[in-house]
Amino acid sequence: MTQMPAIKPNPHYRKSALRDRMWKYRYHYLLFIPVLVVTFLFYYLPIGGIRFSFFRYTPFSPPSWVGWANFERLLFQRPAFWTAFNNTLILSLSNLALSMICSVVLSLLLNEVSTRWVKRSLQTVVYLPHFLSWVVVAAIFTIILAPGNNPATSGLINAYLLKWGIVQKPIYFLADSKWWTPVYLFISRWKETGWGTVIFLATLTSISPDLYEAAQIDGAGRWRQMLNVTLPALANTFVVVLILNLSKVMNLFESVLVLQNARVERATEVIQTYVYHTALTAQSAEYGYPTAVGLFRSLISSVLVISCNFASKKINGRGIL
Amino acid sequence: MLKEKMSFREGYRGRTIYKIFSFVFFAVLTVAMIIPIWKVLVDSFNNMTTYGITLFPEKPSVAAYKMIFTQSSLLQPFLISIYTTVAGTAVGLLLCTTGAFVLKEKELPGRRLLSFFLLFTMIFEGGIVPSFLVMKQLKMLNTYWAIILPLAMNVYNLILMRNFFENIPESLFESAELDGASPIRVFISIVLPLSAAALASIGLFYAVSFWSNYTSFALYISDASMHNFQIKLRTLILDENALAAAGSLGISSKSVQNAAIIVAILPFAFLYPFLQKYFVTGINMGAVKE
Amino acid sequence: MKKSARFLSLALAAILMLAMFAPIAAAETAKPETISFFIDTVYGSMMLESTFQPVVDKFKELTGITIKFIKPEHSVYYDQLNLSFASGEIPDLMELGSTNYPTYATSGALADITEIWENSALKASGVVDEQYVDALKIDGKLYGFPLAMGNGTITYVRQDWLDNLGMATPTNYDEFVEMLRAFTEDDPDGNGVDDTFGITAPGLINGETPYDIYLREFYQDAKPDFYQVDGVWVDGMQQPQMVDALYRLRDVYEKGYMDAEVITNNTSAAREKFYAGQVGTFNYWAGNWNVTIENNTTKNFPNAKVSPLPAIAGLYIERPPLALAISAACANPEGVFEYLLSYAYDGGEGQTLFTRGIEGINYELVDGEYKQKVDPENEGKLFEKVIGAPDLAFTTWADPVKLDQRVIDSKAMFMANRTFDPVPPATDVWKDNIAEVIAIRKEAIALAVTDSATTPEQAIANYVAEAQPFIDAILADLNK
Repeated sequence: MTQMPAIKPNPHYRKSALRDRMWKYRYHYLLFIPVLVVTFLFYYLPIGGIRFSFFRYTPFSPPSWVGWANFERLLFQRPAFWTAFNNTLILSLSNLALSMICSVVLSLLLNEVSTRWVKRSLQTVVYLPHFLSWVVVAAIFTIILAPGNNPATSGLINAYLLKWGIVQKPIYFLADSKWWTPVYLFISRWKETGWGTVIFLATLTSISPDLYEAAQIDGAGRWRQMLNVTLPALANTFVVVLILNLSKVMNLFESVLVLQNARVERATEVIQTYVYHTALTAQSAEYGYPTAVGLFRSLISSVLVISCNFASKKINGRGIL
Repeated sequence: MLKEKMSFREGYRGRTIYKIFSFVFFAVLTVAMIIPIWKVLVDSFNNMTTYGITLFPEKPSVAAYKMIFTQSSLLQPFLISIYTTVAGTAVGLLLCTTGAFVLKEKELPGRRLLSFFLLFTMIFEGGIVPSFLVMKQLKMLNTYWAIILPLAMNVYNLILMRNFFENIPESLFESAELDGASPIRVFISIVLPLSAAALASIGLFYAVSFWSNYTSFALYISDASMHNFQIKLRTLILDENALAAAGSLGISSKSVQNAAIIVAILPFAFLYPFLQKYFVTGINMGAVKE
Repeated sequence: MKKSARFLSLALAAILMLAMFAPIAAAETAKPETISFFIDTVYGSMMLESTFQPVVDKFKELTGITIKFIKPEHSVYYDQLNLSFASGEIPDLMELGSTNYPTYATSGALADITEIWENSALKASGVVDEQYVDALKIDGKLYGFPLAMGNGTITYVRQDWLDNLGMATPTNYDEFVEMLRAFTEDDPDGNGVDDTFGITAPGLINGETPYDIYLREFYQDAKPDFYQVDGVWVDGMQQPQMVDALYRLRDVYEKGYMDAEVITNNTSAAREKFYAGQVGTFNYWAGNWNVTIENNTTKNFPNAKVSPLPAIAGLYIERPPLALAISAACANPEGVFEYLLSYAYDGGEGQTLFTRGIEGINYELVDGEYKQKVDPENEGKLFEKVIGAPDLAFTTWADPVKLDQRVIDSKAMFMANRTFDPVPPATDVWKDNIAEVIAIRKEAIALAVTDSATTPEQAIANYVAEAQPFIDAILADLNK
């Protein structure tokens, strides 16, 4: 935010003032050089690859210009793409909303645990699933949710559902498109909620105890303190995490891929898995089309991030840009 | 201490109800969290191939762990993982704190431009082929620079760090400036010491991203003797052939897979409780008051 | 400057002339100094050095040629290979799977070695089983040499369960289904608990070509892929046999003889269920896997016995072999073929070196018999192979080490009951459309078999409705 000074001086004066201000921050610029260099080398040098969106590009021959053909194929000739596009938004945004809510609530509850070793053990237990790779998580939940041929081979969940008479026939959770989305959202929460609390717990420690003291003096109970002190303090972090994660909404990939199967694949396809299944397969070895899809995703992400940033600035005066 | 006092002042009954609720909630949560991990643990100690969930191993054995720790083809990748994680986290925190320290200056000319410069890379990317070609031109293929540098520059972490820095009371900087301290001194003697929780949590983010890094190793390191534990773990879990014959020693291949999964998450089971000592309320502001 | 340029062009012309007449002047092929070699399916090779270095050293000692092996991480093998092409560091020789081989060949990435093979001393020697070479021909042209036999899956059955139930080995489809029923309902393991079922598979359809290597007893003459009938390409999904096949699968699934989780199974889940004694029948690779499967099962059930079944209704399918392809960019394809490939598949000492490794390091003479030594990188495991697996040799090679009898039997059973699958066509139109068809096809088969509300006819009708434009494009292109 290069806000101009509140008082508008004449142009000449402003120019020298800018130079003065820049000189004042000379050490800051110096400190920023490593960040600039590394970003430039590893992110800006390859970024020119975006141009391949407009080429047919295989490893075996020089890229050939195809104009908008890759986009036309994607947007107009592949109905499956729009299913994937809708699924990405629905799945990813509901996942994001749930993750924000669950992580904040869990952080607040953990923060209220007063015995230190209990608190630390709980934090560790809830954050551990993050370290299992998605492949492993998918394998475990496939077993837990299995329908089974007989009581001995059904998974934990179906075994109890049958035992308690809740269902007559086991439910094939992962192969039923009605069940797949809720199950996916649940597994994601199981894996990532604890991990999501790390940043909020760190933020909670930076709240000044003075604020709580002041609230107590005003006669606020525990509940009031949470509403008036804790939550506002979390708000900034909440917004920043929300916007940052919005930029990743379109990247949804591995978690979906490993939980898909032949029966629900088309109904649950998101953009990245769609590209993986249809364009990055062994048959094609062509980079132009996937790059075009990537560019499309990036544009959607930019719209999401910019609008959320704008809204956040309107509401609480802070964004990430 | 403060908390104790607070709870005294509150209604005794409300507190009890809350405590019961909290106990039940966390008990259920713990069980739900532990069951799947327990399965991996049981399978790793079970020298028998089962399919499904058992409470305890049918043929208990530590053979799988023994195999992992005595086999040089897994020990060296484990050490490489530790090396890249430590080095990467250090470089990452350096870039991320300096960048955040600069961007937190609201008056800095060009601040928005610099933020935009970084954020752009979070959303737009060139793809695998151009990244590989750049890495090749920089002569970094088959070096750990290719692993450490790109991941160390993490815009997500940098923005979070900036958010933490922005919470440090402005008055502190003002008084330091009045004392004539240079920004670099302010950074080292005020900002860093006050950001223990931020450094711990974002350091943890970095450590995890380096520890679980698979993609950059697979793409930029073709020398198999430089591969990390994640790559070997993936091979163990996914490669049909890799463990097909682990049985000759009388060890179930499934127990070896599961033991490798446990070994991979073990460091973080210990690291977090250790880091939590920097997550204690009061440290920050206490330092400020003095 | 000018003079030297003219001299240079003259010299070049002279060299070219010489090169043109070279084959007549001297039959000797130029010997390459180094050969770069991209390789993927190396059995359990976690550390490249320990497996390959001794062989590389030995080969250098024998021929003076240095082989530079490059073995990327398995899951990014093709990414790495593509990158090496994109960055201009193209290997001389590379391993290609049956899906990628035609793609690379039709993209002009590979050298046409038809002539080299036809005129080679290797072909003349007659040691090579030529059906494996022919299997790699695309439109009559050869772009790669087989790495090993293609191999395929065979049906494994718990013989001890059959014995417990007093049943004979099934010889037709009805007996097969009766066996699955007994495995499901008659407590074949005799433990008094209803905890077993008939057959499992890693999915109803394989993830890559050939798509129908599992559940052969049910597919029989149906083939869920494009294939030629009297020279005309058709879509196998729309042939009448497919509906029958789907009804057979649906029948055993509904009755609970087939794994209820067949859709969500991966290969390791299918194997583990078999090892754990939950299921009595499943399809898996023939040859070495026979021993691995038996070892793992007897570890849990000491009395277990695993037997491969002869094909009952549908023949087993052999995949097209993996190809060792010479790149179009290779400076000396003749040299690579003659000095490396011809040697590694010579049916004699060369093949022993590139299959069994080196005597004293990888295998040794014990009491007058050759035995495998322990794998240098995997203690507790015997050294399996260098490049081609010994049990999958397609030459008249006399393996010094005797194979496990079970491996020989299972391979013999497979060979007597198998049909060869052709290399898929890889035209540009096919490449752009096939993935969409596969996704819709997988879904249709899954629904037809596991969803009681969708009949096979309905499933195929839905498939046709949704995949029509892609199918039409592919068929029009293939039949033009």
